[in-house]
Amino acid sequence: MRFSANSFVAAIAYCFASLAMPALADDPSCGLGTEVMATGEPIKVGGINGNAPPGDFSGGTDAAAAYFSCVNAQGGVNGRPIEYIVENDQWNPELAGQVATKLVKDEGVVALVGNGSVVSMAVNADLYRDEGVMVMASGCAISECYESSNIVSSNQGPLPSGIGALTYAVEELGSEYAACIGFNIPNNGGWACDWMNKFMESKGLKGTSILMDPTAVDLNSVYLQALAEGVDTILLMLPAAPAIGLLKVAEEQGGRDLFKWVSPTPLYDPGVAEVLGDYWNDNLYINIELAPFGSEGADNKNWVAVMDAYGQDGDRRDTFSQSGYVSARFFVEALLKLDPNAIDRAAVTKAIQGISNAESDLLCKPYYVGDADRHMPNHAGRMVAYSGGAFNIVRDCYDIESSYLDPIRQQEAALGINQ
Amino acid sequence: MVYGLFFVSGLAVGSLYALGGIGLVILRNSTGVLNFSYGAIAAASAMFAWQVTEWGLPGIVSWLSAVLVGAALSIFYGRFVAPALAWREPAVKAVATLGYMLILLGLIGLIWDDALRKIALPSDKIGVSLFGVRVTLTRIIAFAVSIGAVVGMVQYLRRSHTGLNMRALADNRDHAALLGIAIVKTETLAWGISGALAGFTGLIFGSLVRLEPTVITFMVIPATAAAICGRLRSLPMTLAGGLFIGVVESMLTLYRPGASLRTMAPFVIAALVILWMQRDQQLTFATDS
Repeated sequence: MRFSANSFVAAIAYCFASLAMPALADDPSCGLGTEVMATGEPIKVGGINGNAPPGDFSGGTDAAAAYFSCVNAQGGVNGRPIEYIVENDQWNPELAGQVATKLVKDEGVVALVGNGSVVSMAVNADLYRDEGVMVMASGCAISECYESSNIVSSNQGPLPSGIGALTYAVEELGSEYAACIGFNIPNNGGWACDWMNKFMESKGLKGTSILMDPTAVDLNSVYLQALAEGVDTILLMLPAAPAIGLLKVAEEQGGRDLFKWVSPTPLYDPGVAEVLGDYWNDNLYINIELAPFGSEGADNKNWVAVMDAYGQDGDRRDTFSQSGYVSARFFVEALLKLDPNAIDRAAVTKAIQGISNAESDLLCKPYYVGDADRHMPNHAGRMVAYSGGAFNIVRDCYDIESSYLDPIRQQEAALGINQ
Repeated sequence: MVYGLFFVSGLAVGSLYALGGIGLVILRNSTGVLNFSYGAIAAASAMFAWQVTEWGLPGIVSWLSAVLVGAALSIFYGRFVAPALAWREPAVKAVATLGYMLILLGLIGLIWDDALRKIALPSDKIGVSLFGVRVTLTRIIAFAVSIGAVVGMVQYLRRSHTGLNMRALADNRDHAALLGIAIVKTETLAWGISGALAGFTGLIFGSLVRLEPTVITFMVIPATAAAICGRLRSLPMTLAGGLFIGVVESMLTLYRPGASLRTMAPFVIAALVILWMQRDQQLTFATDS
């Protein structure tokens, strides 16, 4: 690989910028940090989100867009700005295929970053592999996203986060029989809840799946089914809105004290505190995949600063947004190591696959990619308890135990990564 | 005991289906339109009610606004779009309302982003225990209104002059016009009543199920199934159909292999009812002319 003099100077500047970042927490620090607007030939990068009823997964691309704007304003990728092209698949499989083809084949993007779309991952995993383009995603929730060679997400998704929640329930709350309530979608609720049950069995305990249709109206029966099963713990493997609906039913039925209530990350949302009320104080425990929104970590503060300075009105500031920021940051760091005149898809794919031991206080453990048939670099999280309209950490970073991670552990061992 | 628990739970949900179905049948009886935008009107009404609460206005204003917005949105379609399709086939009229549904759903998405929201009614906090299930006053109100709407509308259609006009329209629009019945006025009233019910249903749905426009919009599906149980004509049968669907859905939860089939219940029941009722070969969507 050849390095130009410019890229050498830029790399030095980048090193200083990285060192200086904690001290400049209130001023966004991105990429080279040279405060010189990049004016070279743009590098095309894509991003696909799903933003339509029933959900808005645009937080990852919003944050990536803000970070790339910041990078462009601070020297770009060794002088070259990032042209970030974001498409919305509107949860439509046909549209998801069309926009991915447009980005990958027509626009010729070097990579996709910040993706947050359940539909697109399932539809386009083969396309990404066949075209040799990497996706540094931020909002994954289905099996294809974690079991594909060319998709790597900085969010955990329901499986590790759910097992993290159950781990806490078993170890701290004394759970013995857990019901995993999820959507009746094979690569989402079915997939994740199956692994929840295997986790409980591995502990000599019991688990059961209660799967419901995404548009189910009768949440009362779902709750009553858990009651009839005789479980002592309910794991809400659901997006925030139906989970809130179920909690409301439980509140109606006085169910707070009948079960231990745990959830993966979706309930860790700024809006949840506004709709839950005091009834659930100290009775709802949530596993979070990235750092708390108000964390004092340098990178978390930089995420806030980037969003303040370069985000758009209405940009979401949720876990996906943090995750999008992390993906974008690691992506840019990988690009900065390349000769700016030799940035093409093949070089970028190789650079992304070469990411190893990348650190951020938003993550509990180092991030990596590698050249593998599946990726799940983020599988350690924290546990928070809902109380008084806020979320308080009750257990800091901890990893999960699951045979699902066996191939992931092997990758980490091969890469010499201490997870 | 456990059967009673699920039975009561099913009745509570079934009354919501019935409420939706009743609104559909009232309109179908008077105008011949099967209004698939009913759920979207309900969703828009619920979202507006939430917005009114956010503006800091009293709860009663918010609840009334749901009913008024439902009526207004329904009347808008009934007054400005439906007359242009008055002489088209029933299927065309029904499909046109799908377009209105999509427009409303798009507008809702444009106005209100995808944030977590809730509608809390004072009646949510009050309840009684039946077979071990706590039934809130909100659910009792939904049940009572669905029965009240049936009884009230049946009496209204039988005894009032406007009700007679509506029945005449339902029987034969051409003949009703020849008799000098004010068709537009009568139809507008029917759209208004149906829309008001949609607004009320949306408010109750938003409180009892969840304030999610898509979910509220697509409650029109089990509501249509309930309406089909009444052959899109009979209000008492629609009420019974809605309640029956709710109870069957709930009871299926008790049978583990059937639990995942619960969402099929409205369609299976509606299909069986159609097959049973069409023994005399009369088509459900046939025109009377």
